[in-house]
Amino acid sequence: MDNQAKTEAGNQSLSDWFKSVWHVIAIPLAAVLLALVIGAILLIVSGANPIEAYAALIEGSFGTMKAFGRTLAKATPLIFSGLAVALAFKAGLFNIGAQGQLLLGALVSAAAGFLIKGLPPFLHVTLALLAGAIAGALFGAIPGALKAYTGASEVITTIMLNYVAINITDYLADGPLKDISGGNIVARTPAILDSARIPSIGEIPVGFFLAIIVSIIVWFTLWRTTTGFEIRTVGLSPHAAKYSGMRVAFTVILTMVISGFLAGIGGSIETLGIVGRYQPGFNTGLGFDGITIALLGKTHPFGIIPAAILIGAMKAGASTMQFNAGVAKEITDVIQALMLFFVTADMIIRKMLRTKDGGGEKITLSGWGQK
Amino acid sequence: MKKFYTVFAVLAIAALALSACGGASADVSEDNCADEAVLCVGLVTDVGEVDDKSFNQSAWEGVQQAADELGAFVKYVETKDAKDYAANIQLFAEKDYDVIVTVGFALGEATVGESANYPGINFIGVDQWQGEELANVAGLLFPEDKAGFLAGALAAQMSETGTIAAVLGTDLVPPVVAFKEGYEAGALYINPDINLISTYHPGGMDVAFVDPEWGATTAKQALDQGADVVFGAGGKTGNGALIEVASHEGAFCIGVDSDQWETVPEAHPCLITSAMKLITPGVFELISASAAGEFPGGNYFGTTGLASFHDFDSSVPQEVKDKLAEIDAGLLDGSISTGY
Repeated sequence: MDNQAKTEAGNQSLSDWFKSVWHVIAIPLAAVLLALVIGAILLIVSGANPIEAYAALIEGSFGTMKAFGRTLAKATPLIFSGLAVALAFKAGLFNIGAQGQLLLGALVSAAAGFLIKGLPPFLHVTLALLAGAIAGALFGAIPGALKAYTGASEVITTIMLNYVAINITDYLADGPLKDISGGNIVARTPAILDSARIPSIGEIPVGFFLAIIVSIIVWFTLWRTTTGFEIRTVGLSPHAAKYSGMRVAFTVILTMVISGFLAGIGGSIETLGIVGRYQPGFNTGLGFDGITIALLGKTHPFGIIPAAILIGAMKAGASTMQFNAGVAKEITDVIQALMLFFVTADMIIRKMLRTKDGGGEKITLSGWGQK
Repeated sequence: MKKFYTVFAVLAIAALALSACGGASADVSEDNCADEAVLCVGLVTDVGEVDDKSFNQSAWEGVQQAADELGAFVKYVETKDAKDYAANIQLFAEKDYDVIVTVGFALGEATVGESANYPGINFIGVDQWQGEELANVAGLLFPEDKAGFLAGALAAQMSETGTIAAVLGTDLVPPVVAFKEGYEAGALYINPDINLISTYHPGGMDVAFVDPEWGATTAKQALDQGADVVFGAGGKTGNGALIEVASHEGAFCIGVDSDQWETVPEAHPCLITSAMKLITPGVFELISASAAGEFPGGNYFGTTGLASFHDFDSSVPQEVKDKLAEIDAGLLDGSISTGY
């Protein structure tokens, strides 16, 4: 277990510690490098200079303070959706519904951001954040309860609930909550009040720090509390958990609630810190990217942060890459897809690195009919 | 009416622009955008591609015309994430581009926001209504009702049954309403007794423009009720109507926004013309005005018109063509009103 390796580092020799960390990060690292190499080949085939293109990608994501701030801003919701997916993995659940939970969080916090008036900024932000997080949590509770009491596969129900979320948010943004200010013709809510805005410190969005704090809380919960132990035990073996007297159904629901809560905060921070309102199309893919990030980060909270920053950097630098090197904007998607491919199909890399085991936590998913 | 550029001409210009990028011409390059003598024009698309056969492409063709005729350095950035509108505008602004074209209503807020940060740059916002007049932002808008009026006048003259129809995207979008009102007024102008069947899509924004099945069903119903000309105005929904009409012998259909002869080849058996917004010349006019130091801030109305009749050129009688030319002139000088 990598975290134990980390915390017990004092008792071990330093080289052992490095070895165990390397054991965990070797595959994601190799996957990233391999994806970049194949991306470079694709760039050459498409007639672009890969060095120029990657230089532009780095310039657009880390080149200036502003670029770095954009990278962190892009990484912030991804950390939350990554945590949401990773936490569910720990309990053996595959939460594909992070996208829907995130959308509801984004919309509800937007509503709280423009409907509630007269609050001081700190209180307003807290309230709007909580409202979005709770919306995500409640929406996560549905597939959790279906899984716990009927055994319905959360993979299927969360996929379906994503569509429910898309339609609810589209309807509200184009109906009861639509921005009816002069000249507006598109579906969107009014802008949130200034008191509900999450500010930036210089170019660094405050939401990012919140994401770091929440990552630490998630890590602590998973490995330093009874609840976390129950979540992980249910994930490893629901039958053993049941046999040892754990409340499996309760844990499954709780996990999905927390997972939805995390995705919901991600959407809220995006609304309150970046977009400033809810508008359909502005949160596309953030929840789904959480799956890539959770796997790239080996489902560990501290692995998710660098994974999210990496994907965030690619998103932030994509336009500059297009602008400076004339590269099609889709190339970053291709590279991201390749990373996901190599992380999940880690057999390929294991053969190349000649390691037997991928290291880190194994993901064990439960199937149909398991309560 | 402006003839469309062939794809080849466009490619040739693109090649020219690219070679300029490679440094073939030392003066007109991105590095010299700050130089007053060098005109640099950037374009930011909405989420979508520059070759979308629609808004983005038409606007980009206008920019390419500026490269060709005004010797401008031109470049585009395709928006990948709607949150990057402002960042993409800044890519051009930081390089001291002279004119930045942003395509689509959705970019309106970012365009106005950045126009304040870069007062020395002129912004052209395609389909962006300007509530407040800013000196360096021109919203390029179109009198859709006039294009609709011409389409309606043509439909009424070509109809033998005395019944014509319109299959429309949602009435939540003002340009669609303008097309419809103009279409009906134009038809009534020719024949006060004409029977009109106009139907808006009943769904919301999310489905109204992407529901070709509904468009086809609605067009079929109209044909069953005796309509023999159908105006399809509403993205893919409208295209569904056009394609449905194409399978009915003797019925005509009319496209919308751009020349749909190019974009919906399945509709060739019925597509008599399209009610167009002339985005390409509109963008070019505004770039030229900027280059001449006469940039008009605020709302700028481009022109609309009917596309070529293509294969139906011989089927449209000369007196109908004359009548349309007469109406076009009347709409232009104000002697004919669409009533919208």
